[in-house]
Amino acid sequence: MAAVAAETTTGQSEWEVAVPEKPLKEKVYFENLKAQVIDTELCSRCLTCAAVCPALPEGITLTADDKVGFPDYEEKCLDCGACVRVCPRFEYEPKSGLGEYTDFIAGQSKRFKGQDGAMVTELIVSAIEMGLIDRGLFVGRDNRWATNIFHVRDPEQLAITTLGGTKYTFASVLPELKRAVLLTKSGVGVVGTPCIVSGVRKLQQEFPIFREKVKLVVGLFCTENFHHTEISDYLQKKGVDFSKLVKTDITMGKFIATMTNKTVKFKVKALEKILPSGCNVCTDFTAVEADASVGSVGSAAGFSTVAVRNENARRVVEFIKKRGYADFGEGKPEELAFLVGHKKKRAENIPGFQDQEDK
Amino acid sequence: MKKVSVSEQGLVEKAKRHAAAVGVAMKESVTPLTATVFYPRERKKMPDNFRGYLLFDPEKCINCWECAFICPANAIQMKKAPAPNNRFYPTVDYGKCIFCHFCIDSCSGGALRTTKIHDVAYREMGEMLTLTEEMIEPPEIIREDKKSVEYEIEKDDLHLKRTREVDGLFVEPTPPVEIPMVSQCVDRASCLGCRVCEEVCESGAISSSSAEGVLEAEGVLRMKIDIEKCTGCGLCVKECSMQILRLVRRGK
Repeated sequence: MAAVAAETTTGQSEWEVAVPEKPLKEKVYFENLKAQVIDTELCSRCLTCAAVCPALPEGITLTADDKVGFPDYEEKCLDCGACVRVCPRFEYEPKSGLGEYTDFIAGQSKRFKGQDGAMVTELIVSAIEMGLIDRGLFVGRDNRWATNIFHVRDPEQLAITTLGGTKYTFASVLPELKRAVLLTKSGVGVVGTPCIVSGVRKLQQEFPIFREKVKLVVGLFCTENFHHTEISDYLQKKGVDFSKLVKTDITMGKFIATMTNKTVKFKVKALEKILPSGCNVCTDFTAVEADASVGSVGSAAGFSTVAVRNENARRVVEFIKKRGYADFGEGKPEELAFLVGHKKKRAENIPGFQDQEDK
Repeated sequence: MKKVSVSEQGLVEKAKRHAAAVGVAMKESVTPLTATVFYPRERKKMPDNFRGYLLFDPEKCINCWECAFICPANAIQMKKAPAPNNRFYPTVDYGKCIFCHFCIDSCSGGALRTTKIHDVAYREMGEMLTLTEEMIEPPEIIREDKKSVEYEIEKDDLHLKRTREVDGLFVEPTPPVEIPMVSQCVDRASCLGCRVCEEVCESGAISSSSAEGVLEAEGVLRMKIDIEKCTGCGLCVKECSMQILRLVRRGK
């Protein structure tokens, strides 16, 4: 009965999905991920796996101890392999250095206030104004400095002052990115640490839907990031009152918490005790895979350093220059050398990395 | 500016017009022609598409909430039916209803239908909130009418036409037009291979090569939608976490 040739030009009724290989043949994919990434403490907690896990509503998530987990994976895991396909550390290829860039500039937004020059906010908002994207994902925080994600669609939303500024706490950006990708019409902009940027690239490599819709990826210079419970406990011990805290910053090896009435400073080395294991094996300081990387190091006070890496980001910077939304200056890539080297040394902590070097 | 003036009429013309007026008056005094319907002893005959009291058939309801979404007066609220049903059905607040019948137009299952009932009385405002149970059967109506009345326009004049028959208040609903649909994958490369679609498919139309050993040997998962078996129910479309399945019109 070939009469019902339902085929329309809009769809397909047969297709193939390449299945990734399992190191542990008898186990489900999540158990493979757990053995290879989570239990070996390679996991960066970027939550790329949670973004694609189809076992809803349970699925891969953050467990109570702030780790990536899947409470009932023996029963609920669908064994599709999506988590393994997108995990940037399943077959970990550590990236380091300054990465490729076309421009290395310093910028200071005239419109927004942020950590330094507020160039992350400026890049995303300008991309929205250009029509390149219709929403950007921003990390906000509550009054306990726990992170939450905002879809910014209009510059006016940035009146929420907690959207700018660095939080030094992990955020569930990527699960929200998937929601944004399914909602968006023209495109999504996303901001994240190097591990999140790597996660986005993996998603884009595997799934066309992310390739088409994620148009601007802004990476942040990052030495390490912290679990919310651990850093908030530590800061409270140091005398930080969250109700009065307005800004956190790491400059010249010092962690500075600025409150309305006083500031607390201590050596950032002291935080090594609560350094997450995923950061301990991360060698990427500048988010080399991003469209543009932004950070404080490498420019004068009050300016943000921007490493423009590709065409999309270059067009946004051109737009900002044309509209005069920001002041620009010279970036100094050589100032990053110390921190780039500092993170590169962490390769020693990657299990089996030494062997690879010897080969 | 133009001044309005009484047209000049001759004596004969004036007399003719007076005589016609007296004629009409005499005719009316013998057989009065009234425009009033003597409700409830007679009822006006309503067309089949009259927008009246709503009736509801839960068997046909697909729980799409479209009636509640479209209601411009916010008169329709969805209420959860008791367990084990647990589905949501509409209730109508006639205190708010403006009888636009958008709800009926939007009802894809044909669960809501109109009647010619326009005369329901309530003792207080609270009673006007009609629960789902009360919408299945029509309200109690005491019929005193023996005649039905229709307005007719004859020679630029409105006449009442009375017939000795009792007009039916219920209309057979027109069955909804069913568009044959079939589920298709619109972005094959974004498939996770989770096989949730296969799991939820009630008609067994979606199959995959996930049998023991086959997957490992081949290294690819083959997904297939059997368009002959697919009923176009859309369950797989709803459950696909990457939203890459769509219902498309079945080709001829």
